[in-house]
Amino acid sequence: MLTIKVLGSGCPNCQKVEANAREALAMFRPPGGYEIEHVKDPLGISEYVLKTPGLVINEKVVSEGRIPDSSEIMTWLADTLLDTE
Amino acid sequence: MNLFLELLGAGWTGLLDYLAAHVLLCLVPAFFIAGYLSGLMPKEVVTRFLGPKTPKYISYPASAIGGFVLAVCSCTILPLFAGIWKRGAGLGPAITFLFVGPAVNILAISYTGSVIGMDIAAARIVLAIAFGILIGMIMAALFKQPDVDPAKAAMFDQSATMRPALWGLFGLLVAVLIAGTLQIAPLKNTVIALTLPFELSAGVENALADLDLTLQGVLLIAMLVLIAPVAWKGFNDVLTGFNRWTWLALGMAAFTLLLAAPTTETGSIVVNLTGRFFAEVALLAGLAYVAAHHLERDELAHWLWETWRFVKQIFPLLIMGVFVAGMFREVTPEEWVEQLAGRNTIWANLIGVIFGVFMYFPTLVEVPMAAAFLDLGMHRGPLLAYLLADPELSLQSILVTGKIMGRTKTAAYVSLVAVFSTLAGYLFGLALAMF
Repeated sequence: MLTIKVLGSGCPNCQKVEANAREALAMFRPPGGYEIEHVKDPLGISEYVLKTPGLVINEKVVSEGRIPDSSEIMTWLADTLLDTE
Repeated sequence: MNLFLELLGAGWTGLLDYLAAHVLLCLVPAFFIAGYLSGLMPKEVVTRFLGPKTPKYISYPASAIGGFVLAVCSCTILPLFAGIWKRGAGLGPAITFLFVGPAVNILAISYTGSVIGMDIAAARIVLAIAFGILIGMIMAALFKQPDVDPAKAAMFDQSATMRPALWGLFGLLVAVLIAGTLQIAPLKNTVIALTLPFELSAGVENALADLDLTLQGVLLIAMLVLIAPVAWKGFNDVLTGFNRWTWLALGMAAFTLLLAAPTTETGSIVVNLTGRFFAEVALLAGLAYVAAHHLERDELAHWLWETWRFVKQIFPLLIMGVFVAGMFREVTPEEWVEQLAGRNTIWANLIGVIFGVFMYFPTLVEVPMAAAFLDLGMHRGPLLAYLLADPELSLQSILVTGKIMGRTKTAAYVSLVAVFSTLAGYLFGLALAMF
């Protein structure tokens, strides 16, 4: 089971990260299923990163302050699955 | 009907004033700098001075600089503020960051400088930083600090190095902005006076004079209209790849700057190629060289995307705002403004601040509004008070910070900002009277 958190205040860049993450998930289809959440509360965001947009997979920050594309996100999803096995 | 036409005319004149050559020379580079700060400047350059272990005499000034470097986009301000407060240097520096960010935004400062005057722009920077630090220190003294768990502050320990090419690019961008806006002799002097190889027909000349436009003004407006669709096609998907439109849009932006740099007069076909023009040619060539040879494709893409995002978000609202400010200037009786804020008194400065709180203008629109006030007879002191308070305190931002900090702290912060903005305007007004 993968838990993905998109961290952002709802700005266009954060929407883009969420869209790229959903695209990556649709292509990768993690075997154990997944949950995706968009964290908009500033205090919640600052638990993980300082600069938005941020991306967290299974509580680990994989990207901060930039917009990763969907293929990049797919490799992170795969890495996380390998690590947890 | 007549009044309606008059209003439209006033709006149009406003637009002409604000889309004039000298404004474009400042706004175009400022947008690219904002895009650079938001897309290419690593946050660690500043954040590593904002951790819980940093001595206070470093973290306060670093917060002020952070406000300039990291807070270009309003959407990044609040998470950073929460992070500095709860995990980093504490409430004081976090408040400094929250205050300085919106006040010394690169777009707002350069636009203020070119539309209203360098004195107000400089005062806006200096007083925002000084009072930002002061307000932060008072807040830190008033309220207890949260205990920071060092294990959770690891995000402040990261450092990043910036390649020399990235610093070089930043230097060149700032140089383009300065060469475009500074009013000094070698830049203003004409090096070559070119006479265009055609005559304007009397009809064209009259039409231009009626609209109060120079040939240069017409060309600049045409360029802006043309760039819009090209930039849309070239920049909207720039993160997934470059296309022909991307390069065309960049070329057109550079050409617009070169078109804006020479000076002309209404009805004349003589073009004065100034020192400014040649400085812009050299600097733009340097920029193109560094961007082409020392920047990775990915970096270039992020830079252009951030720049474009700011333009898309701010420019349409700015054009509308300028139009409305022009009409507002037309319908507001000068006596009102003069009576309320024509002289530099504490009361007048307070009115400037209160107006800033209750009127919410989109980013940059506060500047043409301020220019309209100035025209209507507002004193420069209260004007500065208004310009400090407007981006700082809107009802919306008060509600949002209230959710993060709680009511007591927000009330204290809002009162401090109101008091210090009033004081800033008053002191600035006094200083103007002395020199």
